[in-house]
Amino acid sequence: MSEMTSIKTGKRPEEVSRSPSEWIRQNLFSNIPNTILTIIFGIFTLYAIRGILGFVLSGERRWEAVATNMRLLMAQGYPANQFVRVWFTLGCLMVLTGLSLAIWSGKGRLSVKKISNWVMSTGLGLAVFAALAPISASSRLGWVIAGALLIAGGLGLWQRAKNKTTETLHTIPTVPFSFGFLGILVLSLWVVPFGHYAFTNGELVAETGRTVAMSTKLPFTVMWLLLVGTYCLTNLVRESLPIAQAKACLVGLWLLSPFILNWIVLRDPDFDYGHIVSTDIPLAALFIFVGGGILFMLAKPSLGEIGRLTAIALLIFGVFNWVAAFFGWYPMLQKVRISFVLLALAALIAPNFAADRKTRLKFVTGWAILILISHWLITAVNSPSTLELQGPTYLGGFSLTLFVAILTLLLSFPLGVLLALGRTSSMPIARVLCTGYIESIRGVPLITILFFFSNILPLFLPQGMEIAELAAIVTGYTLFSAAYLAENVRGGLQSVMRGQYEAADAIGLTTSQRTGFIVLPQALRVSIPPLVGQAIGVFKETSLVAIIGAYDILRIANNVVPAQTEFLGVKREGLLLVSVIYFIVAFSMSKYSQRLEERVGLGER
Amino acid sequence: MSATTEVKPSNQHHQRPPFYRDATVVKWLFQVGALALVIFALWFLSSQARDNLSARNISTGFDFLSVDPGINLSEGIDTRPATGGRALWVGMVNTIRLAAAGIFFATIIGLFIGLARLSNNWVVNKLGSIFVETLRNIPLLVQILLYGSILANLGDLQFDSGWDNWIIWSNKGLSVPRVFIADGFYQWAVFMIIGAFAARWAYNRRSRLHDETGENTYPWIGSLAVLTVFAIIGWFIHPIFGWVGNIFGFISDGISKIPEEALQFLLSAIAIFVAANWIRGFLRSRRTPGGAARLTDDDKFRVIFAGVGAGIAIFAIFIVWPGLSSWIINSSSDLFEVLENKFGDGRTGGPFGADRPEVIKPGKFEKYGPSGLTMSLGFAAVFFGIVLYTAAFIAEVVRGGILAVPKGQIEAANSLGMRRSAALRTVILPQALRVIMPPLGNQYLNLTKNTSLAIAVGFSDLVQVGQTVGNQTGKNLSVFAIWMLFYLACSLTISVAVNFFNVRLRIVER
Repeated sequence: MSEMTSIKTGKRPEEVSRSPSEWIRQNLFSNIPNTILTIIFGIFTLYAIRGILGFVLSGERRWEAVATNMRLLMAQGYPANQFVRVWFTLGCLMVLTGLSLAIWSGKGRLSVKKISNWVMSTGLGLAVFAALAPISASSRLGWVIAGALLIAGGLGLWQRAKNKTTETLHTIPTVPFSFGFLGILVLSLWVVPFGHYAFTNGELVAETGRTVAMSTKLPFTVMWLLLVGTYCLTNLVRESLPIAQAKACLVGLWLLSPFILNWIVLRDPDFDYGHIVSTDIPLAALFIFVGGGILFMLAKPSLGEIGRLTAIALLIFGVFNWVAAFFGWYPMLQKVRISFVLLALAALIAPNFAADRKTRLKFVTGWAILILISHWLITAVNSPSTLELQGPTYLGGFSLTLFVAILTLLLSFPLGVLLALGRTSSMPIARVLCTGYIESIRGVPLITILFFFSNILPLFLPQGMEIAELAAIVTGYTLFSAAYLAENVRGGLQSVMRGQYEAADAIGLTTSQRTGFIVLPQALRVSIPPLVGQAIGVFKETSLVAIIGAYDILRIANNVVPAQTEFLGVKREGLLLVSVIYFIVAFSMSKYSQRLEERVGLGER
Repeated sequence: MSATTEVKPSNQHHQRPPFYRDATVVKWLFQVGALALVIFALWFLSSQARDNLSARNISTGFDFLSVDPGINLSEGIDTRPATGGRALWVGMVNTIRLAAAGIFFATIIGLFIGLARLSNNWVVNKLGSIFVETLRNIPLLVQILLYGSILANLGDLQFDSGWDNWIIWSNKGLSVPRVFIADGFYQWAVFMIIGAFAARWAYNRRSRLHDETGENTYPWIGSLAVLTVFAIIGWFIHPIFGWVGNIFGFISDGISKIPEEALQFLLSAIAIFVAANWIRGFLRSRRTPGGAARLTDDDKFRVIFAGVGAGIAIFAIFIVWPGLSSWIINSSSDLFEVLENKFGDGRTGGPFGADRPEVIKPGKFEKYGPSGLTMSLGFAAVFFGIVLYTAAFIAEVVRGGILAVPKGQIEAANSLGMRRSAALRTVILPQALRVIMPPLGNQYLNLTKNTSLAIAVGFSDLVQVGQTVGNQTGKNLSVFAIWMLFYLACSLTISVAVNFFNVRLRIVER
């Protein structure tokens, strides 16, 4: 086991250096059939590139439709005067990324040979582009010169790297290199104005307004500076930081960031401070102190059976509150109902912290933090938004796509794990229920589930209860993807060896302790690569919400932009852009998953 | 679990834990509670739905299946269906058509791309990689819309569109030559069945000869030759099998004379017999050498489930759906009547026909004539989408399967002196197929489900028709049930077919 899962530290064998002519002879013209294949497919490739370039660069293409509508595609109708919130959100993510890169100290190094290869292939690509694209002779010459310069630079790098012997000289760290690459991209914004056009009176005007909503080069420069600045600063003080705590803190921030950034930063809730002082703060204090006291007592090692009974009573009470709310038997704040369920769950895991005073205090502190965060979030979600909107929601375009994908993944993960545990459990009824659910969901297409939740779900709700379109979509999508996720987790669960269960039983762990501390960590570790694959699938299939009528990036490119009077029927450009965006995200995720798979040691068996 | 398995010294008598710590009690209480909660939730939701529907004056049920929905479909076997059921049937046929064509072409393209990715030739290898990486990372829906918009921007249909009446393309879709089943096909098929038996006999004989003498007798070629001879003779003299139709007619008459009650009792008897037989076999398999069977919770649950299942089946046969038996009688009688027609006398044409596409101008506008195989715009967009997208995944499956064959197997084949083609056919492919089959079946399932995206380009598949019919009649719930049943049936069919091959391919162990 340890051999299989240990991270590979050894280097790969160095590739044999071959001269280009040798390489060409071996890979392209080794024998007669190979030569014929090379010629046929080479000609085919050239024709295909020519066709694609002709399509993309043809005079009929109206790329200004995409450039003008970039803001619509990314954030739809987010109010222009509040647009700084969008940039603030992005900035927060940049700071978090910079912090994480520094704290986890990305030690990856890229070999200079690889970089010189990339540079040379870019140069070659430019040369091919110049030869095949339908452009004027003078610009063709310019592209050829640029390509030749890149090839020459790449060759120079290659020669230098060949003569170096020590590792530090013929590799460079990945993180600064990618920062440099991003920096070049941002710099190019100052030269080529992509995506901040306005289309007025049939003419394209760059940089019309100076508002943050209209311009992109300044905000993106700030984003880049934030990323690099945070990384450098954190690296400076990294030695003096408690690394373990910093990592835990960052993981927490990453998990919280979707909720905080979406419901508080982007949505801008209008807090009712009178209500907060009179109701919310006392409630939170009550739950922290009384609930904390109860938990402190429940975690006493000498307590025995009463603790368990109390926890179960609390759980029954917590669930009953929801049933009562559904029928309207007695009024209770939603926040209180959620807090009771949380309290019951905390009471159930309390025996795991039954130890000395210090451990129990830690447990109670965790409870206090949980209550503070959840109460704050619930208050923020329930406060009305101050944004002035035209549509039903402030999310739209790519932001809606990301929102649905991230929320679905976050919510379906616990549900999927529960379903997988149910399906592999020894309890027959639970197993039949879980199996039936998983198989019947997996048997039908996603689009029918989405139709069900957007059209039919309102029929099942009690009178007077409504569900927002977006909430219905996310609910349906979560229930759908949980079934698929459960199958991935089940694969992991089945790979945990019998002996692990028996060992856990032998040291006297309860069933929940065995599942939580022994089985699940091993099972989830094995199922990480398929889970990333599942995440890619969820992200890609988010595009289906366009059919239901949500304004995601696909619907805007397919239906909204072609309906504008300036760009009537201009559809292919937008769809190509959407394909490229989806491709970039999905491709980088799949590359990451491949690397992860290598590290976890799967595929080596 | 750990609470009950504690080992006590034998002189102390066993003390049961309190009932709320007794693992068996807690386990079953929890399960019964969960089941009750699920049943309660379903009951509550359905009663809510009933109230809401009656408040909106919408009746539930499936009566809309026999009412004219008043819709036009873009294409299919019947573009102006007379009843809701007929409309959904047209949608199902369209879905099955799309899925079947998609599976066929995606498999072929995927196989070639997968082999290309293993090629030594750099250009072929890279082209394969680019194909796979690009297509599988772009959502299928985006691809379908993109292909649809590209096709919609082709030129208008004219008499000289396309390539010399072999392939015609325009913004009305594509049209290609087609081969179709003609009048005499079914009688010719009878000939071919006889031919298949003869070919099998020839194969067995030649391979026995090969085993006895060691000479190369080419059993495959021999049997194929027999089959070809039968096919050619049958092409000309197939009408002599006209009497087969009379047999089917006789069976059809016989079935329609069976009384309903007899079938009901027969079906119930079958249900009871199957359940009883299963329980008996199960109990026998669980019997210990000591005699009586030791049953775990799981086993008891299975036995109860089998018994309850038989009860439910009988309840359904007699009370829930009393029309079932007459439906079975009528439809099987109808089926044999259709067969009587197909095999009957007076069919003189050849078994197959072929035709090239053409453009006709019946009124003001040109359109595709009936002679070619015409793909409408929507069909073409979805077809290219699912074929290319699934081919990218199938290519990865194929590549993985071939890479999974241990290198030693190839080396062993080489050291036995096998030729490269023989090694590929008899050593590598059989082993690779074993790995390829299960994920390939999964891809077929995905493809079938993905045909539902046809709604985005307005192709009349089951989901699109169902959505229209549901909105027209307000019976979205019933339509959803039909969707679910149809797709589950498709999934089941494909998994059964894949499993069949999987079992055939399995290594026979001692």
